[in-house]
Amino acid sequence: MDQSLVGVGSTRGCVPPEPDQRIAFVPSDLVMEQGDRPFVVIVRSREELGQWLSHPPAGLQRLEVNGLLADPDAWEPATQSSSNVPLDVFLASPGLQFSDLYRLVEVCAVRDVRVSMPASPGFLRALKLAVALRLPVRLLPGQPAPEVCAELTEAVTFYLRDPMVETPMEFFHSVMAFMCGGDTGSLWTILEEDPALFLRQDPEGRSRLPRVSGSPSPEVSLPTFVETRFKQLVEQDTECTTCPWRQICQGYFKWPDPSYDCREIKQLFSIIKAAADEVRQELAYQD
Amino acid sequence: MSGRVFSVILLPTSECNVACDYCFEHKEPHRLSPALLPLLTRRLLDHLQNEGITECEIYWQGGEAMLMGPEWFANAGAVMDQAALERGRRFIHYLQTNLIRYSAAWNNVIHQMFNGAVGTSMDYPNVHRKLFRGGSEAYTKLWTKRLGEARGAGIKIGVIAVLHQASLEAGAERFYRYFTEDLGLDDFQVNTPFAGGPAKKAESGFQLDSGELARFLGELFDVWMQRGYDSGVSLGPFDALIYHFIGRPARLPCIWKENCSNQFISVDAKGSVAQCDCWVTSYPEYFFGNIFREPDLTRMLKTSRARRDFVERPKHLVENEDCLSCRYLSICHGGCPVRTYSARGTIMAKDPYCEVYKVVFARAERYGQRILRRRVAVDGHRSTMTNGPGAAHCT
Repeated sequence: MDQSLVGVGSTRGCVPPEPDQRIAFVPSDLVMEQGDRPFVVIVRSREELGQWLSHPPAGLQRLEVNGLLADPDAWEPATQSSSNVPLDVFLASPGLQFSDLYRLVEVCAVRDVRVSMPASPGFLRALKLAVALRLPVRLLPGQPAPEVCAELTEAVTFYLRDPMVETPMEFFHSVMAFMCGGDTGSLWTILEEDPALFLRQDPEGRSRLPRVSGSPSPEVSLPTFVETRFKQLVEQDTECTTCPWRQICQGYFKWPDPSYDCREIKQLFSIIKAAADEVRQELAYQD
Repeated sequence: MSGRVFSVILLPTSECNVACDYCFEHKEPHRLSPALLPLLTRRLLDHLQNEGITECEIYWQGGEAMLMGPEWFANAGAVMDQAALERGRRFIHYLQTNLIRYSAAWNNVIHQMFNGAVGTSMDYPNVHRKLFRGGSEAYTKLWTKRLGEARGAGIKIGVIAVLHQASLEAGAERFYRYFTEDLGLDDFQVNTPFAGGPAKKAESGFQLDSGELARFLGELFDVWMQRGYDSGVSLGPFDALIYHFIGRPARLPCIWKENCSNQFISVDAKGSVAQCDCWVTSYPEYFFGNIFREPDLTRMLKTSRARRDFVERPKHLVENEDCLSCRYLSICHGGCPVRTYSARGTIMAKDPYCEVYKVVFARAERYGQRILRRRVAVDGHRSTMTNGPGAAHCT
């Protein structure tokens, strides 16, 4: 229990893990089936939140809280310090929900809280407020539309250049670490979307692939999904073949649509790389 | 994670023994009865238990708290601390007083209950703090005498200075020297003024020009950094801001917290509960309830419509003001509700001193960066000396 929410992927390599090393993401109904293996419960009601905070089962790593930020009364059990189960609070519409982040102020005084959000239009508002409240952020870019790419560029500049930013902002944070020589794993790992490590299950207990609905076809091997998929992209001679960022990306931005145009994303990586080079030069100068 | 902090600004009386021009409190002849103290204590402890909080800071203020007498405090402290102990909780007591009633009879209770420290107030120049007979000069003389006596008894003193037009005219240099050299203090803080409560003629004089105020605070910051920072003088809120910008634990003043409604309440002698002493003494329309009449403080705070406004204020500000685009949002969150209310008649707006705060924040940020750069340079030099040329060492 009580796994840190920061840098979850940073110590993991690219070798497929043993099945019992995976973290399962399960709805409340499936908690009893998890046994001792590590898992995250996805909670969607204040009753579920209160239940797992007051009686955390063995193996519980954290709670992923969905759809409760607008409910001012839902967070009371989370401000109690009887257990310190970390929370990952998911904002489905960050551009609209951003101001509700103030509801987490008291919660993060007693437990680790991370905010996760899709890179949807207006996400920067939530990202800026999360940073002002010193909440670590996991930004899920998916396959961002061009207007979101502009916002991502603004966000990465904010992360890299604004001295008021104190908390880790994923995926920028780990990509920056990677560019500085760190062993971070790929974006799939950093963003907890590699099914070899982070196995999402639907309410019926069926395994799911990230960012798509429905169950994967029988021939898809979840432990080797990222590796297999990336090989296919290279074999199909997509832009991944010559992409300078393929080691960290591993085809992340080509899923689920392999024809996604990565031009803006490459620019984003270049911005981080330039900042990483500056850091390395600065450190070399200090040495 | 720092653990939750809950504080109560407790006013055992609204009576006062002085007649300051800018006081906005309703000075009613009402004192907290020793018979009601156990009930008050129980309500507070119930709330702490409901919220899972183990420690509660009690800031004793007034009116003038010392009017209650040292024996009253000794008894109150004993009653509250024993009750807390029995429930596995703890009260930490602080005392804010004008010192006018101080005598050696207070020494024991100050050392035992208040950890040998008190907070008091004085302005420079003092033109608005007055005795009922004798005016401001007599006040200054008597207060200075009491200050000396208290310090002579080994009591640590922190002073709050409220700025006014004459402070700005005296200038930052003279202002700083008054507190550090004339009075020999090493711990004081400056507050921005506001006209709380029902409007009075005198209060119009306390509306300072933002530009002039910002300039004064900027200069005061410079003076303190040149002379006080390295020699151990604590000048709030500049010291907390510097700590913030150099990455040290910093307790910023309540006006810059994410949401003051999460962290404290104020209770007066009649049991009225409001956001802080400014609200409980001045604005009955913003009372949350009465701690003696309502059996459950937690429920009162949860259901009070007045309190809901405080809870929602920061949300409202980031949605409707320009706070979200401010680089200092993380250390301000829209500023003080009561300063806003007294100036604008609503709490759903940002603090009228916004531009002043930005000047102070920018100053603190710049000085913080300088300190960090200096530290890197010094550490780099040390590592070179220690490890020899070429030894890799990152700080």
